[in-house]
Amino acid sequence: MWTLQELDRPKLQLLALSSVGIGLTYFLVWRRKAKKSIPLGDGWWGHGQQTLRDDNKIYPFKVETSEDEINDLHRRIDQMRYTEPLEDCGFQYGFNSNYLQKVVSYWRNQFDWKKQVAKLNEYPHFKTNIEGLDVHFVHVRAPHRPGQKVLPLMLVHGWPGSFFEFYKILPLLTDTKDDLAFEVICPSIPGYGFSEAPHKQGFCSLDAARIFLKLMERLGFNKFYLQGGDWGSLITTNMAQMKPQCVSGLHLNMLAVTKRGVGMLLSLIIGPYLPFLVGFTREDVRRLFPYFEKNVYDLLMESGYMHIQGTKPDTAGCGLNDSPVGLAAYILEKFSTWTDRKNRDLEDGDLEKKYSLDDLLTNVMIYWTTRSIIPSMRFYKENFKTNPQNRVDARTGIFVPMGHAAFPNELMHCPLPWARWRFKDIRSYSYMPRGGHFAAFEEPRLLAEDFVKFVRKVEGKKR
Amino acid sequence: MLLEVLLALVLGAVVLLVLRRSKAAVLKTEDGWWGAGSPPAGAEDESIRPFRVETSREEIEDLQRRIDQTRPVPSLEDSQFNYGFNSTYLQKVAAYWRNEFNWSKQVDKLNQYPHFKTKIEGIDVHYVHVKPKNLPEGRTAVPLIMVHGWPGSFYEFYGILPLLTEPANADDVAFEVICPSIPGYGFSEAPRKKGAWTRLGVPQARAAGVAIANMRLCSGRPGFNSVCAARVFLKLMRRLGFGRFYAQGGDWGWQITTNMAQLDPTAVKGLHINFAPVENVGPLVILSILLGRRFPGLFGFTELDVKRLYPRVEKMLVEPLKETGYFHIQATKPDTAGRGLNDSPVGLAAYILEKFSTWTDHEFRNLEDGGLERKFSLEDLLTNVMIYWTTGSITSSMRFYKENFAKGFYPPHARIPVTVPTGVAAFPNELMHTPKLWAKQKNHKLKTYTTMARGGHFAAMEEPGLMAQDIQKFIKVVEGKK
Repeated sequence: MWTLQELDRPKLQLLALSSVGIGLTYFLVWRRKAKKSIPLGDGWWGHGQQTLRDDNKIYPFKVETSEDEINDLHRRIDQMRYTEPLEDCGFQYGFNSNYLQKVVSYWRNQFDWKKQVAKLNEYPHFKTNIEGLDVHFVHVRAPHRPGQKVLPLMLVHGWPGSFFEFYKILPLLTDTKDDLAFEVICPSIPGYGFSEAPHKQGFCSLDAARIFLKLMERLGFNKFYLQGGDWGSLITTNMAQMKPQCVSGLHLNMLAVTKRGVGMLLSLIIGPYLPFLVGFTREDVRRLFPYFEKNVYDLLMESGYMHIQGTKPDTAGCGLNDSPVGLAAYILEKFSTWTDRKNRDLEDGDLEKKYSLDDLLTNVMIYWTTRSIIPSMRFYKENFKTNPQNRVDARTGIFVPMGHAAFPNELMHCPLPWARWRFKDIRSYSYMPRGGHFAAFEEPRLLAEDFVKFVRKVEGKKR
Repeated sequence: MLLEVLLALVLGAVVLLVLRRSKAAVLKTEDGWWGAGSPPAGAEDESIRPFRVETSREEIEDLQRRIDQTRPVPSLEDSQFNYGFNSTYLQKVAAYWRNEFNWSKQVDKLNQYPHFKTKIEGIDVHYVHVKPKNLPEGRTAVPLIMVHGWPGSFYEFYGILPLLTEPANADDVAFEVICPSIPGYGFSEAPRKKGAWTRLGVPQARAAGVAIANMRLCSGRPGFNSVCAARVFLKLMRRLGFGRFYAQGGDWGWQITTNMAQLDPTAVKGLHINFAPVENVGPLVILSILLGRRFPGLFGFTELDVKRLYPRVEKMLVEPLKETGYFHIQATKPDTAGRGLNDSPVGLAAYILEKFSTWTDHEFRNLEDGGLERKFSLEDLLTNVMIYWTTGSITSSMRFYKENFAKGFYPPHARIPVTVPTGVAAFPNELMHTPKLWAKQKNHKLKTYTTMARGGHFAAMEEPGLMAQDIQKFIKVVEGKK
């Protein structure tokens, strides 16, 4: 039997090195398995200095309007100064002026804002003060049905959307007839709609996430599901990174690829030819390639708004806050193009194929009546201030159960192998048959079905 | 990250060298027609009609009403001009505009020089034509066309016009100046026709022999771009009887006058520019970027060159990204971008005047008032804005961006050099700085390159004296050599 003293020098060195090596390996493997979270931080966004502690009360809120508000809107619409579009340009240069006149005429003469306000108030609204800001949310409880399990859920909207995008999916989630229903919270991101806008610089998705976590805590929810697209996707992801113990599951209809690198480059080069080698399905190939055209060229064509909002939001939004027609053109252009890129070639952008003008204009009115277009744009600048790829959340994985509904006309497609780089526990990944960026608004039933399917998988695995 | 950028640059240089097609010596172009519907049968009406800028009580009252209806949104605390035009200062500008600005008086000022309109390629082209009043016996005025950019107008030249047409110095050349408005800007009619493009997929692009590195994945008929504007202005000069003339420009004016020199080198005697961004990044430029900081002498880099170009990532990537949002949205969705600005005069003013602040000096972003009134008067600034407002031309002015970048950043004219005598006035706060070496890559007959003492992007308006001086210096070099 050898003892340590009997080992000669080379063997001792070998032993030492291999011990260190094994120890290091164990440590690294353990570290990867360990659930990481990102720090919560804190903030205060009100006017001036923070003086009082947060008032924790929750106040009921009603959306209201007045004759003055409606007359002012009408007056401004009447003052629109028409610019002739180029001949035969469809939506290629932006919102087509000829079709815009039709929309505007409907808005002026047939759209009934009072009726829409009553519709908004069909669900109970509330406001509560968090970190110096009045945060608005809709709280929809499920009717008590015997034998039904009711799970809490927060739905987070994006830009240029609002809580109103969820009005069609709400009944499908809260008022179900089977064994599963949801109690839903739909907040407005601070700076959007009825949520107060931050007065201080720096309010990014991490701050919104923390505020929404505080909101759920204040409402008494210890564990809940999250669903989101656009900014909602990033905010809910941040929430899951900050307090993974509170998040039962995270369902996203938009995934942004943040971690580029050799892996992605390889899958782009090999993918079109040997997709299975890099984990791509045929559908992935269909949606991703030709890569340059679909993901680089198209993205360049469509990201002008992001560039100007990410650098000069106050300038970009200034005119839109005085001109309702300008605001409508700016916002509704997205509802056309981001629903299906082919709509760019059509004179009317096929806007009314999937949406009613009433619904579209109600969303615009939320921005108009609250004057929130500028603060909503500032969110872009605040999120791009630090390189998004270097921010703490981009460098940290997500360990809660995740489900992704990949809609075919979404702005960018994220195949499962890429999603796995960051999301360590993907329970469901579905190729949706139809639909674009505004999934909840455009295909509420499809989204609800996929979300419930995901929840069942998560709940089924629990025990 | 820097290593990747550098490697990409080197790779790009190699690709360009290998795949570059042979240079065409002269820029080719076809005739166009931009009016509504189809061109009428018969010859075009070539008459030159005098034009007067006019206003009315309704126009002024409408403006004031709209200013009164502004719904201001407070800026974030301590954000100055970093998020765009500061709200507090904007209210001051709006109040001045509403209560003190006298548009009738400014219209008279505009009319102090004779204006004209003439139809070219189906659209009415507006221009100001200024002849020297007191020309000594035996001297002829030298014809000069000066072209503005965005968001400027012919009005930017009103400060420099007297210095060029009635120079104080007896040795100086007296000019006869034509200041046109680019079609779609101000009093020039906007083109009605768009570019007709079909996007090629990568396989088709390959088959068509188009180098992917050129990002030229489109084929078709161009919309009204700088080459079309150049062609229209060449026709204008010809129509006015000028066989040979000088050209001056900055911003789009640089691009258009450069295209004029490329289209017809015999007509353009000399080209003076105050803006000269590099379009064709060749291996020499890349080398100078990589090594210029350590070995400035090798590339003829001055202190200003080094200060403006380094650190590389900050000056060549981050800064341009911060300031090109407007460019990106206008080059893709001009009709959407301009829509609200055509109803809200304050919105229009914020959008335009933000540029007059930031492009005059980037440091102005940290000032509450954007430093706007340090170099310009509110009266002049708002007169320029009024030209866009009263003509409703903001959207058509933005479309020019889309028409010029439909083919990517590397259209045919970017690869063709300029062979007429050129003078570059490099103002220290210009948006993009171009060292002499880089300017020489494109302008093969660079006669003068002056590092100006002070001034930014709107050079003619901000520093008319310095600009006039440099134009004189350039002309003397060109004429002296004859």
